[in-house]
Amino acid sequence: MSIWGALAGGFVGTLVLTTAMRSANELKLTRIDLPFLLGTAFTTNRTRAKALGYLLHFAFGLLFALGYYGIFLAIDHAGWWLGAAFGGVHGLFASTALVNVLLPLVHPRMGSPLSGANTITLLEPPGFLMRNYGPQTALVTVLGHIAYGAIVGGFTALAP
Amino acid sequence: MQLHRSRIEGFMPIREYAAIGDGRTVALVASDGSVDWLPLPDLDSASVFAFVLDSEQGGRFQLEPTVPYEAQRRYLPDTNVLETTFRTGVGTVRVTDAMTLPDESVHPFRELQRRVEGVSGRVAMRWRVEPRFGYAQTRARFGRRLGVPVATTGHDALALCAFGAGKSELRAEGWEGMFEAVEASTALLALSFAHQEPLVLPQRADLDRRFEQTCADWRRWTTHRNYAGPFREAVLRSALALKLLVFAPSAAIAAAATTALPEEIGGERNWDYRFSWIRDSAFTIDAFLQLGCPAEAQAYFWWLMHATQLSAPRLHPLYRLDGSTHAQERSLPLSGYLGSRPVNVGNGATDQLQLDTYGELLQTAWLYSRSGNRIDRDIGRRLAGFADHVCATWRQPDSGIWEVRGEPVHFTQSKMMCAVALERAAQLAEQDLIPRRHLARWRTEGEEVRAFVETRCWSEHKRSYVRFAGAEELDASVLLAVLHRYEDPRNERLGATVAAIGRELRDGPFVHRYTGEDGLRGSEGAFLACSFWLAEALARTGRAEEANELFDELISLANDVGLYSEEIDPASGAFLGNMPQGLSHLALISTAVALAEAEA
Repeated sequence: MSIWGALAGGFVGTLVLTTAMRSANELKLTRIDLPFLLGTAFTTNRTRAKALGYLLHFAFGLLFALGYYGIFLAIDHAGWWLGAAFGGVHGLFASTALVNVLLPLVHPRMGSPLSGANTITLLEPPGFLMRNYGPQTALVTVLGHIAYGAIVGGFTALAP
Repeated sequence: MQLHRSRIEGFMPIREYAAIGDGRTVALVASDGSVDWLPLPDLDSASVFAFVLDSEQGGRFQLEPTVPYEAQRRYLPDTNVLETTFRTGVGTVRVTDAMTLPDESVHPFRELQRRVEGVSGRVAMRWRVEPRFGYAQTRARFGRRLGVPVATTGHDALALCAFGAGKSELRAEGWEGMFEAVEASTALLALSFAHQEPLVLPQRADLDRRFEQTCADWRRWTTHRNYAGPFREAVLRSALALKLLVFAPSAAIAAAATTALPEEIGGERNWDYRFSWIRDSAFTIDAFLQLGCPAEAQAYFWWLMHATQLSAPRLHPLYRLDGSTHAQERSLPLSGYLGSRPVNVGNGATDQLQLDTYGELLQTAWLYSRSGNRIDRDIGRRLAGFADHVCATWRQPDSGIWEVRGEPVHFTQSKMMCAVALERAAQLAEQDLIPRRHLARWRTEGEEVRAFVETRCWSEHKRSYVRFAGAEELDASVLLAVLHRYEDPRNERLGATVAAIGRELRDGPFVHRYTGEDGLRGSEGAFLACSFWLAEALARTGRAEEANELFDELISLANDVGLYSEEIDPASGAFLGNMPQGLSHLALISTAVALAEAEA
């Protein structure tokens, strides 16, 4: 088990997660676009927002991998299956609280159920299980995060 | 002294309603002080008050003098805060109603404030609150929290916070009370609504501050609007009415604030308009841009692009305010406005093919980009996809802008808007705002659409474009060919069509949508937007004097607070259909701008 393995897993896992989400987007399963959501917190230029968002998403991917690594260390165990389980919980957390509740609170351009006529929002809120972005969004997100977690767990366990 | 306006079987004429809202939901307040419609938490949620749809079980919030009165209303200047002054034989009292806007404090999820000021004399007031959750289909539990009356059901709760408004008593699943409004006294009744969270029970000072802040926020918004023409009052009221229909959490704009208010009293044309129609998009973005609301225009365009993403290149005629497409139509077991059933929620038109929507959407994108806004590569690709889709589908019959429920036909206006779609796509491509690899195809297909319209949809006998290919009936929606520049407005056929519609569909200031069948029983009133479209078409085809005369008449048809519903009964002048209606107000703004341009 090594921190470098976790970071490598975080990088590859985020790559897989981002690609999976983007593919689901192109397949019209969901309208979610995590890099876009992250980037528009800083700019209204959509192209720049996406570029910035990808960077931020990879940074978050590495940070979460470090979090996973901390838990692996604490329980002295890591592996593909354990990582996948962590990823599942991570995906559910992202769908129900992180993107649904916390992101609208800190995102200056995202609406929330509390947004009133005295605010103008550029991005609709995700809603519970992010269903506002399409009914399949939660499924896609959870599956993507399971893949991310499995890769982080596997890479962490593989690294000497 | 008589009551200001008596109800018929408990129902107030639709004209007697004013609207208040907070960017999330809208309440209708009757001129006798009763809040007869309020969906919570959102505009498209189930109602807590639906008296306007069922005068027995719908539920409402009454507040009025106990003695006969005359009522006079206005909005506080430049706001969506309503003031009703009740004059009685023993004194005068003023009620101010507002859905308050969120502030930095721990505010309720939604809040309705009703403030009562004694102006002169001593006036006994009575109030009664009958919350009926879930379109009056969900039983509430009534109780008290810290002495405050509350009604709860599932994950929703409502509290009535009363200050100086007498003791509240629970009777027949409603709270009621009485108090006396004497000169310089103030009382306050506030409804605090909670959804998936604990109730917030606000203090008087918080309520006062939030009310003042709400008035200030509305005034600030209005003072930034830049219309300076001769119809400023009507235009700004229309802008404020539209702002009520903007669903702030997503930036979508609802077509109207209500469902199932009938287009014919006792008839079956009772639709749910609490959705966002692509049909309205070009007028909406144009109104925002003309009135100096670039932020609203950008937010709305972003919402449009997000909402249409999953179905692209196919468009649904309408989308939910959260951007989804699920809008299954069903009937509620309510008696309906003056017996007008079914009381529909949801809208079956969502699955229709309406080819005009592509023209509206590409016109919207064109207006948006023309005003200096950026269209990024992803959006450009999608817009090009819509144009390709038009090339593939324009030969199909459709349900048309009026969403007829009969067999699809080749509606003229649909084909005209297909031509507009392809022309706008070509213009965007020429500016490199969208991919240009299919530019030649868009041009070729556009010419074919125009050839179809000119050969199959023109009647020499009528000297007009007709309702659909091969028909001899007229349709006022063809006026949109002038407004959306299907051809130069000086085009001879367009001018002749404007004249023909004026001859055959106009009745005084009223214009009917069309003649002929539409797959439904019964008839309907005159469609207000069509009257405004005719005025604008007259202005744009060089008949400014006639346009001004018609517009003056139309302005005078608004109700006492400047609002319009969807239709008017030409015989009685009664409002019909959902209220307030966004398209009526959008058409008013567009016409006012056209008249100003014609004079310039």
